[in-house]
Amino acid sequence: MKENAMEQAQGLNRPGRSRAGKNQGLLSSRNAKFFAGGAIVVLALAVLLYSSMQGSTVYYLTVSELKAKSTAGAAEDVRVAGKAVDGTIKWDAATQTANFEVADQNGDKMPVIYKGIVPDTFKGGADVVVEGKLDSQGVFQAHTLLSKCPSKYEPAQ
Amino acid sequence: MSEVGYIALIVGIVVSAYAVFALVIGGWKGYPELLASGKNAALAVAGLVVLGSAILFYSLLVHDFSLTYVYDYTSSDLSPLYTISAFWAGQEGSLLFWALLLSIFIFIVSWQFRERQKELMPYVLAIMTGLAGFFIAMSTLVTNVFAKEATVPTQGYGLNPLLQNPGMMFHPPTLYLGYVGVTVPFAFGIAALITGRLNDKWIRDTRSWILLAWFFLTLGNIIGGQWAYTELGWGGYWAWDPVENSSLMPWLTLTAFMHSVMIQQRRGMFKVWNIALIVITFGLSLFGTYLVRSGVLSSVHSFAPSSLGTYFMLLIIGVVILSVILVVDRFPMLRGESDFGSVVSRESSFLLNNLVLAGSAFAVFWGTVYPLIAQALQGKTVSVDATFFNTFNGPIFLVLVVLMGVCPLIAWQKASADKLLRKIGFPAVVGVVAGVVAYVLGAREIYAATIPIMACGFVAATLLYEFGRGVWANSRRLGTANLLRAAGNMVARNKPRYGGYLVHMGIILLVVGVIGSTTYKVEKDVTLSKGQTTTIGGYTLKYEGLSQVQTTANEAYEAKVVVYNQAGQQIDTMLPKKEMYQNQDQPYTEVAIRSTLSEDLYLILGGWDTNGASATFKVLINPLIMWIWIGGVVLSLGALISMWPGRQEARRLESRFARELAARKEAPRQPALSES
Repeated sequence: MKENAMEQAQGLNRPGRSRAGKNQGLLSSRNAKFFAGGAIVVLALAVLLYSSMQGSTVYYLTVSELKAKSTAGAAEDVRVAGKAVDGTIKWDAATQTANFEVADQNGDKMPVIYKGIVPDTFKGGADVVVEGKLDSQGVFQAHTLLSKCPSKYEPAQ
Repeated sequence: MSEVGYIALIVGIVVSAYAVFALVIGGWKGYPELLASGKNAALAVAGLVVLGSAILFYSLLVHDFSLTYVYDYTSSDLSPLYTISAFWAGQEGSLLFWALLLSIFIFIVSWQFRERQKELMPYVLAIMTGLAGFFIAMSTLVTNVFAKEATVPTQGYGLNPLLQNPGMMFHPPTLYLGYVGVTVPFAFGIAALITGRLNDKWIRDTRSWILLAWFFLTLGNIIGGQWAYTELGWGGYWAWDPVENSSLMPWLTLTAFMHSVMIQQRRGMFKVWNIALIVITFGLSLFGTYLVRSGVLSSVHSFAPSSLGTYFMLLIIGVVILSVILVVDRFPMLRGESDFGSVVSRESSFLLNNLVLAGSAFAVFWGTVYPLIAQALQGKTVSVDATFFNTFNGPIFLVLVVLMGVCPLIAWQKASADKLLRKIGFPAVVGVVAGVVAYVLGAREIYAATIPIMACGFVAATLLYEFGRGVWANSRRLGTANLLRAAGNMVARNKPRYGGYLVHMGIILLVVGVIGSTTYKVEKDVTLSKGQTTTIGGYTLKYEGLSQVQTTANEAYEAKVVVYNQAGQQIDTMLPKKEMYQNQDQPYTEVAIRSTLSEDLYLILGGWDTNGASATFKVLINPLIMWIWIGGVVLSLGALISMWPGRQEARRLESRFARELAARKEAPRQPALSES
């Protein structure tokens, strides 16, 4: 309220501002309450944003990066991007398991075992992302397999 | 023939440049002749785009494979409807399609405002025509929709099977109608800044455009989800993919805008905010195209990367800079005409709604572009997974739902807490009962299900209660016992309000569908030999064998799965397929879905053993998913009612708002004259 009084006093001293107090826009005490409330909401949103980011971002590794880290048997999930090697894909319908190799640009390869149904776009040479863990035998046990055709909606030229 | 189309478009670019020049200079300096010639030039551009588009339609329909575009996206055995839809199936065509919609809107807007808004119209037309010029240039100079094949092929390449689906016929046009619809209020907003006519006239005059854009944007998102659900075959409808996000972001900001303009109309406040929101919405609708076309992010919609992205980025930057300069320059004129009422007021609930919607849009934006930022700063490839978007948006959407219930109960400017508490009692009780019933029935996830259902029950009760109260009062006023007549009369007298209620009801149904299908989804991968059964939820599925069947595809395999209920009665036979198409080196999954109001049984054929002695399936149960589509229909109806033109009504509301605003300027501390 003190602020408001000061505002009004200042306003009255300035010519052309006779409606001070009522129309001071940002600073009238009535509006100040709303800006304080708005600031609290914005702050809450920022906190929510920050906390939602925790644990939701995953780094992609290449096969060679994964091997360099060489933490076989580590507890944390990793995501590896590469290409499914042509001719290495074996699908076992009885156990719904796909065995294949993933290679990166340097030609580094690793065997992958994925349990589940493979996406339509999955085939030799397709870009794939596998998510899971490297086991102690150096085999990547994937629980997620994403696959992307380089040109899905565009015809091959 | 196609040469004519190409030349028409090239001429269109030149004429659009002239139109912008003539309209801006003519409007600014007040040369009536230059202005008239600018207007004609704008109409000429629109006409040329229509001509060019008509020629592309014609080339598609007669299968003129000498055109690369026709060759790339169609074949002579493609059905006529999908042949037409090929217009927007590819990059070049969808850019021209954008220009076409914009041109049609140029015609409508110049007719609609032939007598009104004389000061604003030159700039509005200049902005729309300039944009049309940009899109024509993109579809002819950067990529060429009328490019020719060196040798004329006898057969086309064919349309991608994923796009041969009714959802894909309607999804891009509805979304584009939404994006392009945003252009109209954007152009008016900028024109209002330029001319300094910054009262709410531009908002009132573009009200139907705002609603129309929102209607199509909403529909486009829902149809996109439906398409993903039935066609992409992974069992869901929304994956927070960059392309999905890019159509959600403008929806969020446009929804915020639709609400905050009401405050400007009622109270003359939030002027800068409203301008900012419409600029951001427009920018985001361009940004979506940028993301899709530039190939900077990986997405299910992986279009070939092209230089188009750069031009779109330049356009976005240009739009933002122009808008910021204008806002800064006009800042003194953008002062609020009154200030907030009490803390418990309709304004404050709208303010909260806006902050939350804008926050959500920002978070979706952040999550979408974060991989780009991380790549630039750390040189690492990062992905932000769906948990981020769900964790952030869960609480946000809950707040929004609760607001939808509270808002109609609060008066403008000054509402007393007592009065609110009295009114809130009944809906609150209904909400609690809904939550308890849901809990007893098995919705035990307190945060993911029970509380959201409670909120939904509360909102539904508020809306029905307010509606019922209105009908009752109106039947008394009319002196009729016919409640149906009273309801019809009441809705007709205030369509924006009751259309809005129906939209909110649709959203509630949609939210119920989302809660059910995300929290209680069940899935299972299973391999079955012929005659073997598996059980999921209340269903028992029996695999009865694989057969080759005739479809539009070259080769198609169909598994026969018989569905039994818990009592052992046969209730359905489902036929999931895998299809192989010519020219496509991957199989396409055709899922089988058994939909009921309570849940969908969703069956994907994964693969099979030699001769189909055994087959692998992914089986999902998606509870309540049908309510998402029902909610979509309900909210579309609501939006239609809301924007249905009613001149008398518009005038009545207009004069009432003006009266109220004037009265408040006189005595700003007075309580509201009448409640909403």
